[in-house]
Amino acid sequence: MSTLLNSLTTELRRGTLTLAVLSQLRKPQYGYSLVQLLEQCGISIEQSTLYPLLRRLEKQELVTSSWDTTESRPRRYYVLTPYGIEIYQQLKTEWEKTSQELSLLLKGDENE
Amino acid sequence: MRMIDLYIQEVTRRLPEKSREDIALELRSTIEDMLPDEYTEEEVKPVLEKLGNPAVLASGYLDRPMHLIGPLYFDVYINLLKIILPIAAVISLISLIANTIFSYSGEEAVLNVLLDSIGIGIWRILSTGIQVFFWLTVVFAIIERTDGRKSQTPLTACFKEWTPDDLNHIPYIPKEKAITKVEVFLGLLWTAIWASVYFNAASLLGVYEKGNNGLEFVMPSLNQEVLLSYWPLVILVIVLEIAVDMYKLRAGQWTRKIAVLNLVMQVVSSIVFIIIISNNQLFNPAFVTYMSDLFSLTSDFDSWFSYGAIVIFVLFAAFDIYHGFRKANLKNLK
Repeated sequence: MSTLLNSLTTELRRGTLTLAVLSQLRKPQYGYSLVQLLEQCGISIEQSTLYPLLRRLEKQELVTSSWDTTESRPRRYYVLTPYGIEIYQQLKTEWEKTSQELSLLLKGDENE
Repeated sequence: MRMIDLYIQEVTRRLPEKSREDIALELRSTIEDMLPDEYTEEEVKPVLEKLGNPAVLASGYLDRPMHLIGPLYFDVYINLLKIILPIAAVISLISLIANTIFSYSGEEAVLNVLLDSIGIGIWRILSTGIQVFFWLTVVFAIIERTDGRKSQTPLTACFKEWTPDDLNHIPYIPKEKAITKVEVFLGLLWTAIWASVYFNAASLLGVYEKGNNGLEFVMPSLNQEVLLSYWPLVILVIVLEIAVDMYKLRAGQWTRKIAVLNLVMQVVSSIVFIIIISNNQLFNPAFVTYMSDLFSLTSDFDSWFSYGAIVIFVLFAAFDIYHGFRKANLKNLK
């Protein structure tokens, strides 16, 4: 893939990352389990982006985190707050609207 | 094990103290999640590669930007730099010229002083430029980091967000009426040159003859004492010229007011020039004899020369005055 296409693709995906992460956090997840969940759905995310993103979401009070020390190694679990759920729903609606509009545009392009 | 420790250290040392421990713990648990229970150093490498450059990871955790001046302030920064740099350069140049003129003892050859001054001048402009650039950048880098605003729109030069009303503050300058910075700078340079010549006339203007060491100064053409007795008038003209130049720089275009100011300046300097040059003590008698012999003139060389100089000077002044009014009277083409 050319460098230009690469950077355009990255840019295109960057905005959707937050939505993708929020969508998987209704149930508590820790960092690596989240990576695996996203990868199962075909979404590859730079891990150097994901972990800071989780912290940022916590700062924005969209998620809360807690340490679970009952397992073999301590893990930090993240889960949506009520406020996070609310924002997630709204963001989801926005995304659906955008993708509908865009697919309409792209369809028009094919017909020409 | 060792590589993981080093990696975590590389990340956390870039983070604020209070969040280090927490992030280190999470990173370690994440890295171990990605590895089998028993692992070797070789297996650690691809995992760390996936996490990427520690500096990038750390900057992700920090809210601090990874640039010195971001898009919010870049435009203001560049605009200020463009305004301040030339002003600083001109000021350092003027102060250097003033310094050279007033500290000149008359012992050294003028050409040497001139060449030295040019060298020092270039160096001064460079170092002032670097200083200005450095401090302005530091100030903006600090603003960038301490700015509490959440907004993402770039700022205008007034440190506010842009509104259409801002357009009203921008003067509309047609190209034909514009006064360029180069024009003003050349004006200032001209003032500096003739002022230097005036104060050093005794060792600069005169007869040069070919000697052993190239050109040798034989005799001055002017009577320095007579010439220098007019210094208050000359200073007046210098101040007037600099003032008009500065005003031109500020206005950026020819207006009636500037044209009138230009007229006043040209008239005053013409009068001063005429007063000085029509003093019959001005020329060095030895020089007058020398020139009369050289061109085998019978009439007085000095009066002939004076009239010529006056005509030329007044012609140039008149042309400059006309030029100013012509530009000021150009219609604003909308």
